[in-house]
Amino acid sequence: MEISDLFQVSIDFSQSHLFFPRIIHWLLLIMALMILLFEGIPYLREVRSGRKSLPFTTGSFDSKRVFGTLLLTILYFVSMPYVGELFPNTGLGFLLMSIPYMFALSVLYLHQHDRAHLLRVGLNALIAPVVAWYILAKLFAITLP
Amino acid sequence: MEFLSALDLIYFVLVLSGTLIGIIFGAIPGMTATMAVAVCLPLTYALDLNHGLALLLGLYVGGISGGLVPAILLNIPGTPSSITTTFDGFPMTQKGEGERALKIGIVSSLFGGLFSAAVLFFFAPLLADFAIKFSFVEKFLIIFLALTVIASLSSNLLMGLFSALIGIWLSLIGTYSVEHGGNGDTRLMFGFMQEYLYDGFSLLPVLIGLFGVAHILEEAEKGIHEATKDMQLSLQKGARFSVGVFRNQKINLIRSSFLGTFIGLLPGVGGSAASVLSYTQEKNFSKHPERMGKGAPEGVIASEAANNGLTGGALIPLLSLGIPGDSTTAVLIGAFTLQGIQVGPLFIGENVATWNTMMVGLVAANFMMFLVMFFAIKYIAKVVMVPKYVLYPIIMMMCVVGAYAINYGVMFDVWTLLLFGVGGYLASKFGIEVAPLVIGFILGGQAEVYFVKSLESFGTLTIFFTKSPIAMVLWVFIFISIGFSIYQAVKARRLKQAGKGEEA
Repeated sequence: MEISDLFQVSIDFSQSHLFFPRIIHWLLLIMALMILLFEGIPYLREVRSGRKSLPFTTGSFDSKRVFGTLLLTILYFVSMPYVGELFPNTGLGFLLMSIPYMFALSVLYLHQHDRAHLLRVGLNALIAPVVAWYILAKLFAITLP
Repeated sequence: MEFLSALDLIYFVLVLSGTLIGIIFGAIPGMTATMAVAVCLPLTYALDLNHGLALLLGLYVGGISGGLVPAILLNIPGTPSSITTTFDGFPMTQKGEGERALKIGIVSSLFGGLFSAAVLFFFAPLLADFAIKFSFVEKFLIIFLALTVIASLSSNLLMGLFSALIGIWLSLIGTYSVEHGGNGDTRLMFGFMQEYLYDGFSLLPVLIGLFGVAHILEEAEKGIHEATKDMQLSLQKGARFSVGVFRNQKINLIRSSFLGTFIGLLPGVGGSAASVLSYTQEKNFSKHPERMGKGAPEGVIASEAANNGLTGGALIPLLSLGIPGDSTTAVLIGAFTLQGIQVGPLFIGENVATWNTMMVGLVAANFMMFLVMFFAIKYIAKVVMVPKYVLYPIIMMMCVVGAYAINYGVMFDVWTLLLFGVGGYLASKFGIEVAPLVIGFILGGQAEVYFVKSLESFGTLTIFFTKSPIAMVLWVFIFISIGFSIYQAVKARRLKQAGKGEEA
């Protein structure tokens, strides 16, 4: 056997879709182990000695705004196609759901809830989707939910 | 002169509006050129290729340039690449020279942009002509080189490579396409996911999610505080702007533009690297290094010429090899695909008219950026104060439009947006870097085809080393880039240990 035989590779066509992903899996595993060895363990040691802290545990984590954003966005995505089906091919699902979504998101992000701020937020939530909807769906005939 | 027919009035109106919107995005702290391009993509769905490109090039140039406004006036970099603009720009504002600093920055930006456009114009076709001769083996090695360069220039080599691998892995989800000689089987998913993921994740929703939604989640975590609240914009007149300030800065201008263009050429390296490098170079070569950081115009010149030099530089690998030079050009690749154009070595030769229109668009965008900013800077400066609670909901809405409309109404693309938004947000907590990941995602599918097909036809791994002299040269580059980053890592570790030794 010659040395060049070591590098011979033959790929079975019916399995060829798994060939490259398998290599990537091995590389990912090797890299993950190396990261654990060179970065992870020294990092954890620093955490234990109190010099560094784990992710998510430092600084201010504004859970209200993060989870609020996620919740509102999920509601928005779920409701859009439903409302859209009531008025097919008009993009109204997008328009009608964007207004409350934007208003709610703005209010969530606001720090002062006085009248002037709420008014500004309300106008923005009303005007921005209408303009976007008009330009995209009406003028450009782009598909919207 | 076939391309002249594409240059109608609308073309220039689109360049102008793109530039204007881009400047606004760039000027608002926390919003970047990448975001501008990603969010405005849906506007191009209805346009043809040339008009779409006009808008996108405007957005790109405007977005990169706008960052200097808050950097100079408020000491907040509007985009990552304008960090070094704050070093000298803000002290100038404090001395009452805000307007002068802005205008110096704008002129330098124009110079950097035009310089890089010229390099692009002459260099990209040469590189493409050279790359046309590449077989699958060299093409695979080019991608491999691109990924090692990205990884070696990211802040941590291991994490950079790991991020790129994750990107490749994500790109493999779906079918091994028959179109590219695959067997048409799906992989990396469960049966019930086939309905949605048969073609894998769509590129644009992934990008919009990673650059738009993830960013908003990061800001939400910090509580959406208005960075610009209670700040005063001061443009009061101190020293007036005059072109004389550039008299001794020719070398600085050219060197910084060149560095910006060169860094832009390297795949996946963001603008901050370019401006930091040229700023430090200016400091090294300056006759008065002690003035730098205290309001020296040369600092603003170095930083701004470099970050606009990026624009043309980053387009070079995109248009000649199909490899995006930075995250903004990664989104541009999506826009090309959308128009049914495959960017790669054949692009320029087969689309000479498009290529020429693009060049006109790029140069026009630079001039319009200059005109808009130079004469309307006082009004644009006010944009910096737009509150985030108004902006972010608009961005979210535009992200949804972009994701939904890309494949003519697939709700799964909108969910992809959220998936990658949340994924990108969480991944950054664990040190995974977005730029290598995105480039891995874009190039992963091609890498697979080139790699597997090379092996299928030659049957041996040695072919990657022995195919041609070009292949060997590429290996030399690959080893240099890995060697460089290992050297950097070792040096950093030594410095750290030396620092610890002093403490003790």
